[in-house]
Amino acid sequence: MTSSAPIRFNRAAVAAVSAWVGVLVLLSHWLGQQAYRWLPVQASSAAPLVDDLFSLETAIACFVFVGVVSVMAYVLLFNRAEKYDMDDAAPVEGNTLLEIIWTVIPLVLVMAIAWTTIGVNREIGSIGPMDHSHGATSEAIAGAPTAEIQVIARQWSWEFRYPDAAVSSTELHLPAGRRVGLQLESADVIHGFYVPAFRLKQQVIPGRSIAFFITPTREGRYRLRDSEYSGTWFAANQVDVVVQSEDAYQDWLTRAATQPLRPGISDASREYAQQQSRLRSSGYPTVPPAPPPMVNVPGSNTLPHAG
Amino acid sequence: MTTLPPAPAGPTPAHGEGHASHPSYTLTGFIIFLCSESVIFLAFFAAYALLKSTATSWLPPGVEGLEWRTPLQFTVVLVSSSGTIAVAEHFLGKKRLWAFRGFLLLTMAMGALFLYGQASEWSGLSFGFTTGTFGSLFYLLTGFHGLHVATGILLMGLMLGRSFYPGNYEEGEQGVIAVSLFWHFVDVIWVLLFLLLYAWQA
Amino acid sequence: MTLTSLDPGILKAAHPVPGAPNNWKRFFSFNTDAKVIGIQYIVTSLFFLLVGGLLAMIMRGELITPEADLVDRTVYNALYTMHGTIMLFLFMFPVLNGLNNLLIPCMIGAPDMAFPRLNAAAFWLVPVFGVILMASFLVPGGPAASGWWSYPPVSLQNPLGHLINGEALWITAVALSGVSSIMGAVNFVTTILRMRAPGMTFFRMPIFCWTALSAQTIQLIGLPALTGGAVMLLFDLVAGTSFYRPEGGGDPVLYQHFFWFYSHPAVYVIILPVFGIFSELFPVHARKPLFGYVFVAIASLVIVGLSLVVWVHHMFPSGVPQWMRDLFMVSTMLIAVPTGIKVFAWLGTLWGGKIQLNTPMLFSLGGLFNFVFAGVTGIMLATVPVDIHVNNTYFVVGHFHYVIYGAATMGVYAAIYHWFPKFTGHMYFEGLGKLHFLLTFVGTNLNFFPMHPLGLMGMPRRVSSYDPEFAFWNVIASLGGFLLGVSIIPFLLNLVSSWVWGPKAPANPWKAIGLEWLLPSPPPAENFEDNVPTVISGPYGYGTGKPLVEHQEAYERALQEA
Repeated sequence: MTSSAPIRFNRAAVAAVSAWVGVLVLLSHWLGQQAYRWLPVQASSAAPLVDDLFSLETAIACFVFVGVVSVMAYVLLFNRAEKYDMDDAAPVEGNTLLEIIWTVIPLVLVMAIAWTTIGVNREIGSIGPMDHSHGATSEAIAGAPTAEIQVIARQWSWEFRYPDAAVSSTELHLPAGRRVGLQLESADVIHGFYVPAFRLKQQVIPGRSIAFFITPTREGRYRLRDSEYSGTWFAANQVDVVVQSEDAYQDWLTRAATQPLRPGISDASREYAQQQSRLRSSGYPTVPPAPPPMVNVPGSNTLPHAG
Repeated sequence: MTTLPPAPAGPTPAHGEGHASHPSYTLTGFIIFLCSESVIFLAFFAAYALLKSTATSWLPPGVEGLEWRTPLQFTVVLVSSSGTIAVAEHFLGKKRLWAFRGFLLLTMAMGALFLYGQASEWSGLSFGFTTGTFGSLFYLLTGFHGLHVATGILLMGLMLGRSFYPGNYEEGEQGVIAVSLFWHFVDVIWVLLFLLLYAWQA
Repeated sequence: MTLTSLDPGILKAAHPVPGAPNNWKRFFSFNTDAKVIGIQYIVTSLFFLLVGGLLAMIMRGELITPEADLVDRTVYNALYTMHGTIMLFLFMFPVLNGLNNLLIPCMIGAPDMAFPRLNAAAFWLVPVFGVILMASFLVPGGPAASGWWSYPPVSLQNPLGHLINGEALWITAVALSGVSSIMGAVNFVTTILRMRAPGMTFFRMPIFCWTALSAQTIQLIGLPALTGGAVMLLFDLVAGTSFYRPEGGGDPVLYQHFFWFYSHPAVYVIILPVFGIFSELFPVHARKPLFGYVFVAIASLVIVGLSLVVWVHHMFPSGVPQWMRDLFMVSTMLIAVPTGIKVFAWLGTLWGGKIQLNTPMLFSLGGLFNFVFAGVTGIMLATVPVDIHVNNTYFVVGHFHYVIYGAATMGVYAAIYHWFPKFTGHMYFEGLGKLHFLLTFVGTNLNFFPMHPLGLMGMPRRVSSYDPEFAFWNVIASLGGFLLGVSIIPFLLNLVSSWVWGPKAPANPWKAIGLEWLLPSPPPAENFEDNVPTVISGPYGYGTGKPLVEHQEAYERALQEA
């Protein structure tokens, strides 16, 4: 025989719980606002969408977490047994109404979050049709549609080619305020194209040429990090993204086209060369880094960056 | 000393020193194992289907397709061997041991014939394990299946040998039933494989 | 079958199976007694916890400064790979199988597992593949260094070109681990389905058995997919095939699908038994029935189904189309519902109870706290836009360590303390237990909380060096990590000294309700032997006064007189 505890409506208890829920709502709202500060500066059109979603999720998370923990705290404060008292408590075995409530409410909540998020996904619209070209021959990749910027990820460097302007660099320059198409390709293993300030990330997969779209919104210098483990110097595979006004961007392209080709940024090559000059190797054998790409504009990855 | 009340009647899984009344769980465990094993084949099938549907060029250069008539003949052999092992089981149930052994041996021979057919098909192919994705998948699928056929033949041999021990079937015939299930499983997998590799060649 | 009188002498000693040594040596033999195998699994896994933990200490030592200045980058990459692999395959899964072995037969009134020799074989594979994995430190090319995921093509890069290389050994070890786990899963599922005591219907079975059944079902369905994917990886590595190599027409993303098809459900294999542990411990130490037992049981099965259709949430930034991301986001969100049912059930159990704050309860409460935190960050990770930003950053590392260490491992500690008296016959020292809890709880939060802001700021995971702006939180995380390293000391001290010198434990120190508590501490070789009780009510009848089994007083009296 199950005993279902009837929920007694004690006025004081209802008032106290309502007050506490009110406090939780205020706390959650406040924390949701704080959440923006935990994220890098917003530098793309996707960033505000992502941050708003994260802020909402933080608020909900705060409500749920603090709510649950406050129940645990109450129990620890007011339901402790006496030191040597091992007698049983009241045999409450369940309450079907409560079960239904705490099944339906979370279900509705997560589905609501999922539904709004599908809309956000559409708005962000960063990935293009998945272009496949199995067999990573240069002919196959050359056959892929030409985007404004071609990104070639290697162990361990990033090369950016601007086919229309006949420019290459190891510092990604982008114009602010309009949608830019990138074509992501890898020469060896899977890499991750990740710019935290843009809130965007895409695996760069050998054998494919992936169309990826960004709309930068804020001028500045931001970090581009390899986000998919790619071997020994994975952590050092970082370069900068410089977002400029359209005019400055076109200026940069024109000037870059006149620069002679020289080795671009590859921290891995530098470290590898230093290691080779030492007598004993200090680690396990490694795939040697690809030589730094020959580019018009090496740029820098040691200047201060905004995010 | 406290005396405990009599044990209840019914299927109590209690047993004394000799485990004489221990019920056998072999078949339950084996069926569970087979269900799990089928997933690895499903994984390979999925790999084949996915890679084939997304490939720009699928067959190795110089290969037009797989010849399907001879494999179909060997398929008939294998599927029929499911029939012969069922007959063998039937005779075991009737305690006609020599008929059982005969049909078991026949099943083993048909399995061996299938393996021979597999091997001769392999030796006649112009592509290898490392010839691109198609080659890798073809040999993986047929090889893994062939391994199971060989295992089945070995298990049947084991059952054949054990059939000569006196009192072997006193506690039931789970071993034979399990091996027979395994053989049917190997058969069904082959039918699916045949459809995937030879029928779906568009 | 009639019973003879129960000889209290039998209840005194835990005699092992005939032929096995009746002393400590039995733990080093091919012993088929599930209770011996359970201890073997647990001790072996604790050894590897120390190994994996040592690797973590070195990693946190490297990460306390931004530069890669402690160990070479190649060494760091091998360390984090082996840390993850060891912790999952040599600590987490074996320790849970150890608990399964100890608890399942006793809880259902069975004499042993369905297939005792298969059980022993499954255990002995663990030291075998453990040695194979550790041996990879000794080969010229060093151990595998592509993460515990081992994604191709990077995992296929073999600079020295040797056949026997770290990655090949890694794949072999993982494959053997899969074989051992499948052997165990067949055993556990058969045992639970077929060997329950008379009167123990499914809905009178303890939740630990429900969650074990669910977890092992997941193993049966998911592991073969991993094995298949790993076999293809091995062939690509050593035989030159092209399953995943793009040059030959293969697809590296296909590996990701195989890998995650198992490895996502695998996390439920880890957490479900811990849900079971919480579901057992909260009623005992709050002296109240489990709230909504039937819902908790069914939620376990729902989790099995859902866990098999969420795997692509690990692949949101890889080459999968938008519709697939949306679909798997929805399925991932759904899994929050049965999980929430369990969390609320535990709260309902605690509410109005009479809480005993002993070590098992402390670890369970701490585990629940950490789990809810991990759960809410999990919801964040389920939504594609947020995941695109934090995928492969320290945010994910923080999330899963909160679950795996903060909830699962703390749950395992809770279980070890709770059932230690039963299976060793000795009480553990409560003071050391509380110290262990305090250090663990503080260390866990110090180590893993800072990883969340780090990930939000954009620090990738698996890095041997990082930009200076990440230093502050990394220092705190490293200090927390070192504290966790220290926290293991009181635990090990307690286990060893309590087993050797601890006070003798009564049969039921917690006054708990369950078939295992009707056995002596420690139980004899075949548990109830010929006196299997008939179950007449559901578990967790605290406060109802209902006996669990027929003639319960007789069983309890026999224990008193033993």
